Amino acid sequence: MFRYSLRRMVLLLVTLWLLTLLIFALNYWYPGDPLTNMTGIKFSDTLAYQQALVARGFDGSLVSQYFSFMAHLLQGDWGASMVTEQPVFAEIKPLLGATLELGLLAMLLAIVLGIPLGVYAAIQQRGKLDRLIMGMSLSAYSIPVFWLAQLFILLFAVKLGWSPISGQIDPLYAIDINTGSILIDIWLSDSDYRIAAFTDALNHLWVPVIVLSIMPLTMLIRIMRNAVLDVLQQNFIKAARARGLSDSTIMFRHTLPNAMQPVVRQLGLQFSVLMTNIIITEVIFNWPGLGSWLVKSIYERDFPVIQGGLLVLASIILLVNVMVDLVHAWRYPHIRKEIDAK
Amino acid sequence: MLNKMMVAGSALFIVACGPIDEARDVHHDGLVYCSEGNPESFNPQLGTSGTTVDATSAQLYDRLLDYDAKLQQFVPALARGWQAFDKGTRYRFDLRENVQFHTTDWFTPSRDFNANDVIFSFERWLDKKHPYHDVNGGRYPFFRSSGLINLIERVEQVDDYTVDFHLKRSDSSFLANLATDFAIILSEQYATQLLRQKTPEQIDRFPVGTGPFQFELFRKDFIIRYQAHENYWREQPEIKRLVYVITPNANKRMLKLLTGECDVIPYPLINELSQLDHDAEIKVGSSVSPNISFWAFNTQQPPFDNVLVRQALAHAVNRPAIIQTIYNGNARLATGMLPETSWAYSPVQQTYPYDPEKARALLEQAGYPNGFSMSIWAMPVQRAYNPNAHRMAELMQSDLAQVGVQVNIVSYEWNTFRQRLVAGEHDSVLIGWVADNADPDNFFRPILSCAAARSGNNRALWCNPEFDQLLVDAIAESDLDQRKHLYQFVEDMVMQHAPLVPIANSLRFQAHRADIEGVELPPYGGINFRYARRVNDVPL
Repeated sequence: MFRYSLRRMVLLLVTLWLLTLLIFALNYWYPGDPLTNMTGIKFSDTLAYQQALVARGFDGSLVSQYFSFMAHLLQGDWGASMVTEQPVFAEIKPLLGATLELGLLAMLLAIVLGIPLGVYAAIQQRGKLDRLIMGMSLSAYSIPVFWLAQLFILLFAVKLGWSPISGQIDPLYAIDINTGSILIDIWLSDSDYRIAAFTDALNHLWVPVIVLSIMPLTMLIRIMRNAVLDVLQQNFIKAARARGLSDSTIMFRHTLPNAMQPVVRQLGLQFSVLMTNIIITEVIFNWPGLGSWLVKSIYERDFPVIQGGLLVLASIILLVNVMVDLVHAWRYPHIRKEIDAK
Repeated sequence: MLNKMMVAGSALFIVACGPIDEARDVHHDGLVYCSEGNPESFNPQLGTSGTTVDATSAQLYDRLLDYDAKLQQFVPALARGWQAFDKGTRYRFDLRENVQFHTTDWFTPSRDFNANDVIFSFERWLDKKHPYHDVNGGRYPFFRSSGLINLIERVEQVDDYTVDFHLKRSDSSFLANLATDFAIILSEQYATQLLRQKTPEQIDRFPVGTGPFQFELFRKDFIIRYQAHENYWREQPEIKRLVYVITPNANKRMLKLLTGECDVIPYPLINELSQLDHDAEIKVGSSVSPNISFWAFNTQQPPFDNVLVRQALAHAVNRPAIIQTIYNGNARLATGMLPETSWAYSPVQQTYPYDPEKARALLEQAGYPNGFSMSIWAMPVQRAYNPNAHRMAELMQSDLAQVGVQVNIVSYEWNTFRQRLVAGEHDSVLIGWVADNADPDNFFRPILSCAAARSGNNRALWCNPEFDQLLVDAIAESDLDQRKHLYQFVEDMVMQHAPLVPIANSLRFQAHRADIEGVELPPYGGINFRYARRVNDVPL
């Protein structure tokens, strides 16, 4: 396990390092002045520009520029937005909170619904309900997120009036932004209308969460169903049957723990898909997260922000994938051996 | 699965309806305005963008005098009265006492408004050596293009509550310019405090003014939060919390108005207006807005430096069709620059009717028998004068293809768009102008003079000294009939040289929920929430 973990961690570090190289290179590939792209300081601001020139090693070689870039990156000096002139790093925290809140809730919903539905479909294999579940998951899987989001807004917000169209909370509730996650921020706030604000926030939250969870949900149902069917074919299940164990014991003691293995492996991949979809979802629902921030910065050619957004989103996806891999290897030791054997 | 979601959804909904009393309290004295974009800053002196003006001028600040569009006269504001001396080259303003600036987390005023604040607010852009002149850009496009920067010689303090404005020459548009949304009064004490803290740039980001609302918070792309100014010198606004939710998408704005998430929206989509008017929950307000939308050519760049090419292009587009398609008939085809509602309006001679044959002949004469390719920049936001520039560009694209001119349409985010226009990167642009005051001069000098070409507001980058002289003559004339006569020359000259093609004068629309009253949309200037109120309780 130790060797395996070490290898994964080294791989993670190498990937992150390559990511910083790419982002560093982007500064030179973007149009305009590399130093401005990196720091957001404009040439017209002579004094600050000269200071940055020295601080960022622009009087030296490319290598020294890269080292100084890394030093600034690690210190949390990620430059300032070219539009708002606010430091990029400080802006990230509340945005990250909002994105993670949406993403984690959607992932949770996908797992909570997807696994039982997949198991249920497997048990009912080729039955009516199996066909219904699989048919629905296939058609839901083929709906693009941007369209589904518009459809849900039209249905739930405009036609039925069950939820608001967009935003985190009714803007008239003045909740201080702290972590960026609206539910936690309401919890932390000391306003008199905490409960009303909390229900209002939930009311804003459920449509984007459902929209976002559809894709991983449908995938999880299908993976889970196949995994359960696979395990049910195995000899040890037949043996268990022969020993006269009850259906429920076979399912919960023998089938499920084994069927979870491919599902856990898939979680990392599903999370990556979810993070891609979250960008679109945030834009449509005016969600103040990293995704909408990144898209906006692309429109505005705000290079320091584009870099910051890319770096954070890519790092999250990498980190989650490595973590899932580690958990997977820790829970299912034979996987480690397979990988080591190669 | 879907069923389960619906159940979950309705369960949440029922929970959400629980604590009604608290929710009602929040909504009763609050108002949500879904604005179309981010303000560039919180000081209208620094720009000319209508979005910035809507977000700041009438809410955060006051002016020395206001223009009452109903009475068609100037009314006192921070100045109780004024008098002209020395043949109109010196104006004395008598200032109001007991006017307080906002008390915020970042500034606590220790004195009332007085002459120092007036001097500071004007010197900031008048005096190039002023410590605040270059803060946050140092461009004051309105004052530059309206000529105010060259007109005022100095501002002099007579005593604590009296100031004198010395002008270089008498100018009939001086008071009109002071009453615009740009000539706001800042706090000198706050500026001094910021200078001491070495953070002068904060003055336009964390604004302090004397207006009916004070600034609380701004989150770019999401929200601006204001609260009522408790010591406002005029009647207290009834709305205690004013929130701007930034919603650039016009469809979404419309939907959010329908669901009640927005109380007031600007620039509703015109082709859905008729449908909105029938809805009992929604009211549509309009004002005859003195505006013009036009298609400006970059006259610094070939082939648009050739007047024949410009005239050819003017003949090549079917403008009456545009009026029908883009404005749904809610606009008038503009023949010249001045709208019909202006007192100085008179019909022009050259009107450029739609005539592709003539356009082709003119192009041939100019040496482009096979046409050429060009870009049309279409602004990304809706404006009263142009609800959908992109669609308009598409219509023009097909018209121009008929005379052999290939068009590609270009667009950027609004602030980027404007910056690039100032840099002169465009071939031609669909944009427009909303007059800041009732003076006809405002339709020419800020958009077509040489000074405006230098400040970047002249989208055609057209500079003609003869034309500038004509404008100066017109403004110096005090006899109305004579002035009207001079503006006829001005109009004819614009149409002859065709640095731009006027397209439409339109109505300005605003839509609001039926329970909101008193949202003012003055014909000159930005939206005003001072008199806004909610008439009955929120329907939940």
